[in-house]
Amino acid sequence: MGLSVPALGGVPAGRGRRRIDRMIGRVAGPSLAVTYLSLLVLLPVAAILSRALSGGFGAFWQAVSQPEAVAALKLTLVCSLGVAVFNSLAGLVIAWVLVRDDFPGKRVVGAVIDLPFALPTVVAGLTLLTLYGPDSPFGVNVAGTRAGIVLALAFVTLPFCVRSVQPVLAELDRETEEAAASLGASSATVLRRVVLPSVAPGMLAGAGLAFARAIGEFGSVVLISGNLPFKTEVASSWIYSLSQSDDLSAAAAVSVVLIAISLAVLIAIGLLRRRFEIDETV
Amino acid sequence: MTARWRWPLRVVAFGYLALLVVIPVGSVFYRAFEHGFATAWDAVTTPDALHALFLTLIVVLIAVPLDTVFGVGVALILARHRFPGSWLLDALVDIPLAISPVVIGLSLILVYGKSGWFGNWLAAHGIQVIFSLPGIVMASAAVALPYVVREVLPVLLEIGTEQEQAAATLGAGPFTTFRRITLPSIRRSLAYGVTLTTARVLGEFGAVVIVSGAIAGRTQTLTLFIQDGIENLNPTGAYAGAVILALLALLVLIVLGGDPERRKRRWRSPSDQFPSDSETPSLSTT
Amino acid sequence: MTLEVPEGSLTALLGPSGGGKSTLLRVIAGLEVPDAGTIEIDGEDVTGVPVRDRGIGFCFQHYAPFRHLTVRRNVAFGLEVRRRPKDEIRSRVDELLDLVRIAHLADRYPAQLSGGQRQRMALARALAIEPRVLLLDEPFGALDAQVRQQLRAWLRQLHEKISVTTVLVTHDQEEAMEVADRLVIINEGHLEQIGAPAAMYDSPANEFVLKFLGPATLWRGRWIRPHDLVVHRDPDLGGERATVERVTHLGFEIRIDLSLAAGSPVWAQLSRGSAAELDVAPGDQVWVALSESAAGVDGSPVPASTHRH
Repeated sequence: MGLSVPALGGVPAGRGRRRIDRMIGRVAGPSLAVTYLSLLVLLPVAAILSRALSGGFGAFWQAVSQPEAVAALKLTLVCSLGVAVFNSLAGLVIAWVLVRDDFPGKRVVGAVIDLPFALPTVVAGLTLLTLYGPDSPFGVNVAGTRAGIVLALAFVTLPFCVRSVQPVLAELDRETEEAAASLGASSATVLRRVVLPSVAPGMLAGAGLAFARAIGEFGSVVLISGNLPFKTEVASSWIYSLSQSDDLSAAAAVSVVLIAISLAVLIAIGLLRRRFEIDETV
Repeated sequence: MTARWRWPLRVVAFGYLALLVVIPVGSVFYRAFEHGFATAWDAVTTPDALHALFLTLIVVLIAVPLDTVFGVGVALILARHRFPGSWLLDALVDIPLAISPVVIGLSLILVYGKSGWFGNWLAAHGIQVIFSLPGIVMASAAVALPYVVREVLPVLLEIGTEQEQAAATLGAGPFTTFRRITLPSIRRSLAYGVTLTTARVLGEFGAVVIVSGAIAGRTQTLTLFIQDGIENLNPTGAYAGAVILALLALLVLIVLGGDPERRKRRWRSPSDQFPSDSETPSLSTT
Repeated sequence: MTLEVPEGSLTALLGPSGGGKSTLLRVIAGLEVPDAGTIEIDGEDVTGVPVRDRGIGFCFQHYAPFRHLTVRRNVAFGLEVRRRPKDEIRSRVDELLDLVRIAHLADRYPAQLSGGQRQRMALARALAIEPRVLLLDEPFGALDAQVRQQLRAWLRQLHEKISVTTVLVTHDQEEAMEVADRLVIINEGHLEQIGAPAAMYDSPANEFVLKFLGPATLWRGRWIRPHDLVVHRDPDLGGERATVERVTHLGFEIRIDLSLAAGSPVWAQLSRGSAAELDVAPGDQVWVALSESAAGVDGSPVPASTHRH
């Protein structure tokens, strides 16, 4: 067999590029990334915080406690909370049917569930307005009402609620349910004591994501709600109109409140999930 | 599942989906072509409409590549170099997901607007960001920032570093390794990330409406055009535009529907992807 | 620790898991950086040289195949990176694929190969760049016992054909003894002994090496090889009185567990022939003595240490 004996020196690769490679990898790359992040996100967020407090705490408080602001925030929180809770349950039912039932066209159903995530928010609002607004073929008109807001929020948060429960449900070990049944538990009991506790973390996460998304939602709400002050004006609409009237400091102040609530919810969810996950590995 | 509940559950689930999603979206298609295809076509080829389409396209062509390069870079940093504070970078990248788009738009004005932090400097150099294309691009890029990272990072962590180490032992430098080994491995997740980013940029409304001033024919993207159409009595145009975006959304779903593996990873809470211990192959042999 | 690997040899780094053998190998490769010390290859100090310029070839336990490339492209990788001319690459790759006998799989993807085939591909890939040193990290650890046996023999043959300095990490002493010219026993970060396999088996430096390299049993407070015990029925031949507790047939050898009248239990290892001649069953009384050719450190049994390593 014609086999070449390996030369002792080996075949060297280029040595000169070393230092440049290392420089780009360790320094230039991360710096560019951080710069991009700063220009687009970090500086702007800092600017919001700064502007919100630019007039001192007094101005901040005034902006936030203004009647219209309070009304908008209250409306936003109530609607978002309601939607989060309701959609968690709806999400559970839908996920249940997806996981435990067998029917043709699961993929299509999956696509329908994800559609609100892929669809632009204005288009979402438009679709709901078309069907449940002034020209509704059903004669159902929720335009300009709080129900309309809830509808829009339900639409956009649906995917979060379904997809956070679905994998948990799918991974559920059927044997624990069978064991419970063999020990004499009725279906309802099995559901209550075996299934629900296991999917609760997933539902909670979904509800949290839904809530965080809902309080900031704008595009889908703006068409159907009519943005009537004190009636159907959500926090994001109020911020928008503040920015249009150039009251940027007030807008920033209300924004800070929204950000704080979002962060609080997301951190709480994170902590709760960590706690639950630790329990599950026992 | 018990047979007794099968149909009741199905009715509730499918009924909910039908009333909330399917029929509303279907009705938009109906409304768009209600007066014939020609009318719809005309409504979407007016100068303002065409401008909106064109502007949206430009924004996508700039913002998506920027976010993609950033996304891959950050994913690499987080996956391959553990440093104190990686968790912070990870969390910071997810910020746009936690903030209302309206707030993001506002925040950009506060930095790049006339009275903003860089306002004077920009004015002095004749650069217009707010109410102009750069602002729209930045707003769109900001809201879609996390998607590529969140798609690529888990895959990078899963693949591990062995192939890259092997490439290094064979003489490949960092760039060569990235080009020939890393990039091909993340092809799929990168495609998903880019698709999601594109969908997000196309669909952005809140941030753009604040930052652009929504001047028809000048700074109106397609989503703004739609909203304007409804509020200012051009429903056909609005519906036609909506159909275009809805079709693109369906396209996105088709592309994304391909991989069931992805499903399991997607819907976690935003700051879930900490670089894990599994990234370095264990040294002790078993 | 200080270690010298002779050129052209096949040295095995052997020891229990977690002892630091893989770390050492990766330090030699440049995949890890030592806290202190130097590495020299061929007399050249390569301590600061990055892995890709060291001229080493590395095989990973899980092969690290480039999944998106065919077998051929995998093997060609190192040469492509060095921008060798296409014909050179093609002929060298063909040569290597023939050498490791996977030429018929050249256009398949790693996922379509068996574990053994993947490892052979990895070897071909590492050899393609004509490394000065070939480093193998538990190369057969992830394979079935039978495949492992085959590849061990094959590796030995390969080494005899191409005498590249090779360092192999393994925790399997049988593998090390079969394949290597030199053994380096590493335990918990320390070098226990270096030497040729047979010599080390017969003259272990300490208790750990003795116990690691082969079977051991405690006899009169000293560690000895069970096959150095002679078991017989004749009281006149001397030895200690013992009772047979258990007789286990382990294929080609028989293990006899014995309890001594005085002292801790011990076990002896006999060939099938000797055991058949002896014809013992549990409960029998026998006599046990140390054979004259018993080996240990310096030819004498190794004392049981009073403290653990």
